Amino acid sequence: MLSSYLTMAAILFCIGLYGALTKRNAVIVLMSVELMLNSVNLNLVAFSKYGVVPSLTGQIFSLFTISVAAAEVAVGVAILIALFRSRGSANVDEFNEMRR
Amino acid sequence: MGGFYIDWSGELVAFFAFAVVMIVGAVLMLTLTKVVHMVASLAAVFLGLGGMFVVLEAEFVAFTQVLLYAGAVTILLIFGIMMTDHQAVQREPVRPAHEIVSAVASIVLFGILFYAIRTTEFAPSAPPLQAGVDNAMEIGKQLYTQHVIPFELVSVLLTVAFIGAIVIAKKEAE
Amino acid sequence: METVFSQYAWLVPVFPLAAFLILLAFGRGMKRTGPVIATLGSLASLVLSALVLIEQLGGADEYNNGFDWIQIGGYTLTVGFDVTNLTALMMVVVSLVAFLVNVYSIGYMKDDERISVFFAYVALFTCSMLGLVIADNLLMLYIFWELVGLCSFLLIGFWYYKPEAKAAAKKAFIVTRVGDVGFLIALLLLFWYMPDHDLSFAAIANVFGQTGLITEGITTLIAILIFLGAVGKSGQFPLHVWLPDAMEGPTPISALIHAATMVAAGVFLVARTFPIFEASPAALDTVAWVGAFTAIFAASIAIAQDDIKRILAYSTVSQLGYMMMALGLGSVTAAMFHLFTHAFFKALLFLGAGSVIHAVHTQNIHEMGGLGKTMKTTAWTFAVGALALAGIPPLSGFWSKDAILAEALHDHPALFAIGIAAALLTALYMSRLFFLVFAGKPRKGASGHESPAVMTVPLVVLALLAVVAGFVEMPFEGTGWFGEWLTGHAAAHEGTALVMLVSTAVGLLGIYLGWLIYVKGAIPRDAVTKRMPWLTRLLERKYYIDEIYHAVFVVSLRAIGRAFDAFDRHVVGGAVRLAGGAAVWTGRAATRMQNGQLQSYGLYAVIGLVILAAAIAGRRFW
Repeated sequence: MLSSYLTMAAILFCIGLYGALTKRNAVIVLMSVELMLNSVNLNLVAFSKYGVVPSLTGQIFSLFTISVAAAEVAVGVAILIALFRSRGSANVDEFNEMRR
Repeated sequence: MGGFYIDWSGELVAFFAFAVVMIVGAVLMLTLTKVVHMVASLAAVFLGLGGMFVVLEAEFVAFTQVLLYAGAVTILLIFGIMMTDHQAVQREPVRPAHEIVSAVASIVLFGILFYAIRTTEFAPSAPPLQAGVDNAMEIGKQLYTQHVIPFELVSVLLTVAFIGAIVIAKKEAE
Repeated sequence: METVFSQYAWLVPVFPLAAFLILLAFGRGMKRTGPVIATLGSLASLVLSALVLIEQLGGADEYNNGFDWIQIGGYTLTVGFDVTNLTALMMVVVSLVAFLVNVYSIGYMKDDERISVFFAYVALFTCSMLGLVIADNLLMLYIFWELVGLCSFLLIGFWYYKPEAKAAAKKAFIVTRVGDVGFLIALLLLFWYMPDHDLSFAAIANVFGQTGLITEGITTLIAILIFLGAVGKSGQFPLHVWLPDAMEGPTPISALIHAATMVAAGVFLVARTFPIFEASPAALDTVAWVGAFTAIFAASIAIAQDDIKRILAYSTVSQLGYMMMALGLGSVTAAMFHLFTHAFFKALLFLGAGSVIHAVHTQNIHEMGGLGKTMKTTAWTFAVGALALAGIPPLSGFWSKDAILAEALHDHPALFAIGIAAALLTALYMSRLFFLVFAGKPRKGASGHESPAVMTVPLVVLALLAVVAGFVEMPFEGTGWFGEWLTGHAAAHEGTALVMLVSTAVGLLGIYLGWLIYVKGAIPRDAVTKRMPWLTRLLERKYYIDEIYHAVFVVSLRAIGRAFDAFDRHVVGGAVRLAGGAAVWTGRAATRMQNGQLQSYGLYAVIGLVILAAAIAGRRFW
């Protein structure tokens, strides 16, 4: 049972990874990152129930990650809006100042 | 039904149902063209995940998931879309090599994880947690005693985050 | 009798060496005093070697001294010097001619910019030659042998801005190198076979004096290889080709190196290692026949040459052939006697030619004429030298050549015939040379003037020596002490009356023919040329030997060189360029990875993660 949950989390993680690496729109990259974070949460809660030492710590940990992820999305969208205002585009491949 | 050595139980059925929802939602998120549709399928994923938390007897986490993710984060993303690029249609990307290598890397990573999960012996003797009884109260007890410091720090973090977001996103003073 | 001066014989090469070092360091500013220092150096060695010779003439014992220089394994390389009758004589010959050439060069090279360099090289040469002469083991002799070759190279190419001089210097070095390879192999063989690896001449004489210690086959091989070295250095056929070209160097050094001393080193080497040759009759025969052939071969070329120095160069080759023939007949005495007299009159002839060239600024004898009227001293001394070379009594050349011819008649009449024929040719080409240059009417523009005293005094000294040097070994009863003193054997005494008559007749005949053709005009000059033009061309072109060597060796070696060069440039160089290019290509490819795209960087991170995870998860497989 545990391995099913873990496999499910792995699938979500890899789908999110592909989206984060490939999509051009920055908001969609953010969405993919959220997907990856969610898969981590699933892992944590699954281990809290079926893990080696079952305890509530997994669920509390996942609460914290949810909060931090929410904060991160907020700041990320704010940055994107600011960038869009100065650049006029929200495509990640146009933000390549880190070339050298 | 009983076949294929699968021990059908209610938990398993529910798991499969929610799993299907989540996977379909994730795949649609990647393949749809209109951005708003993508956000909608992401919201479906979040909801499915909430359901799965319920199956895992983590009601409080499920509640938080639906409230925060399916609610706040999704709305936030829609706002983000509307304020940045509301062309609504994603152009075809022009980097096939990059896409193919990324896909291969993701698949290989999944393969490795799957292999690791399959071959690892998790201790079968420990009984699963009976977390469904008074789940919220138990979490509250632990949160405010053992984990009170991280709790306070997270609240500080949230304050800082929302102030920071406002500062970054507001227009330059005219 | 005790030796007072002989123990200081090692100083004899040191004086010129000191002069060399001084001139090397300070020469550039000493254009006036540099030559004087060099001359003083050679004078010092002349005085000391004369003292040693006088001591040895008085019957002093042989002297040998040395020290251990390098010890490798069980073998000790010693450096030492031998004072024997032979080496004392050679020391005096070398230092005397060197001194006279030094004095002469003060006048001849007066206007040259690099006069100090010239004198430095001459001093180095003198040191090397003297070292060669007194070396007491074969390895040390080889070292000085090579040094002498180096000095020859430097001096032939002294006017290096002339391409002919450069080519001649290279040719000299390379051709003598061919001979030196033989010498080196002989050295190695001797090292292998001699007991205790002892290469000193005393040990060689000891070992090869006893029969059976070393097999005859090996002995013959060693002897032939040593002779090969002598062939190179002394310009015998087939390695004679460098000597005429070496005339590109200044005339004083043609006199010093390529007439009197260095080319005599080959003869000296055979004389020093004579016990090896004595033990192998086959080697002796080879030496004799090669020498005889060279004598007549070179003489035949000399009668068709037009350059005054080249005629004298071929004459040197021919006379060295006589010396080799004498050695091959078993008579070290006759060979050394002829070497002794030849040094004086050939040096005289070359210095006289230098005086002529200095006056008329050309080397072509057909552009000269009538110089006997304006250059009296030169003409008279040249005449003495020419007569000595032609073997006219009572000059020195007559006695030494007769010693050789008498030995030949005694042992190998065929060689005697060849020797006589070569003597006829010798007289003919010398008289041709003399009459064309000094007799007849002077041409306009080439009237010449006598050279300064600093150049004519050495000529006179050498002429005197050319006259009297022969009297030390005359084949009459009670008058020949030279041979006894030098080697313990006198020169041949039987049958000498016949030889004296025949050789004198032949010499006079040659001179008469020359007079008829070139002075009287009774026989037209182109008598032979008109009837047998092919013969003239053959002789003029030196039997096309240079062309043959060029076609066989130079062309093929150059082709091999070009092949290797192409290999080096394309294969080896290509591999190197490939390595460099691969690095550049890799760098350029890697640069494309840094495109500033966040997602690219993210992809690289994921790839790294995948590899790492695979490695850790796959641990059970390795």
